[in-house]
Amino acid sequence: MAAALKQIQPLMECRFNRILWAMTLLLLSQILYGCVSFRIDMVNNGADVQSLPQEFVVGKTTLTEVLVSYGAPADIVDMRGHFALHYQRAFYRGGQFSLGPPLSDVLRASPMLDATANLQRHDSAVFIFTPEGVLSEMSYEKGTSQPLWNTYWK
Amino acid sequence: MKTRYISMGLLIIVVLLSGCAVIGRGKDFRPFDEQALTQIKPGQTTATEVTKMFGAPSQIVKLSNGNAYVYARSLSKATGVWLVVLTLANYDTQHDRIVFFINQNDVVTHYGSSFKTDTAAYGMPF
Repeated sequence: MAAALKQIQPLMECRFNRILWAMTLLLLSQILYGCVSFRIDMVNNGADVQSLPQEFVVGKTTLTEVLVSYGAPADIVDMRGHFALHYQRAFYRGGQFSLGPPLSDVLRASPMLDATANLQRHDSAVFIFTPEGVLSEMSYEKGTSQPLWNTYWK
Repeated sequence: MKTRYISMGLLIIVVLLSGCAVIGRGKDFRPFDEQALTQIKPGQTTATEVTKMFGAPSQIVKLSNGNAYVYARSLSKATGVWLVVLTLANYDTQHDRIVFFINQNDVVTHYGSSFKTDTAAYGMPF
């Protein structure tokens, strides 16, 4: 009987430790509730903007070809004679960490730490046309391919 | 012992999920019919016919050799989860757009369309 108990004892201790950990975690999260908070946001506005096709040539490509390939633009801008079609996707990432134990009842001031990071990146394609509807200039930038962390600290 | 573990597990899940979850949907709606685009014939269809078929445009852009009529609507889907100390939020907005280029004689010369609202999605921010 004693031998059997000796064998079971480490197993029981292991399970007890797990329960203790879980209880501690639970208690800690409840204590920190309202004092510590993390927030992660992602906002996407618009569909992917494809890169410039190789068959697009300044001076040859027409408005019809661009509209067939890219669809309706997000913006049309009159440039006093010329006009531009602007295709855009905006992609936002945000994060926030707050630490602020409510101690104003105990101390005169409540310490508060709030760290926020926001980064908005854009994919854009711009096509500028002559009044006759012939492509005179085009440009493309894929901001969302830039790395999140390094771009933020640049 | 097994029952105790299950109870503990359930308790932890309930406490962790005691925040809130929200799913939202926002629509900037305009009742234009994409099927009507098949009736548009560049060089023939007039601006009046366009407004009869699609209604008043969302925006009119004045160009040097005419106007552009823009029809736009959007659909946004939002997902939010508030856990004990962690908040996750995701918003996705997609647009349906039609643009008609109309010359000084009020005739459609070009048009383009993109319908993406079907691709708006709920999700997590990672």
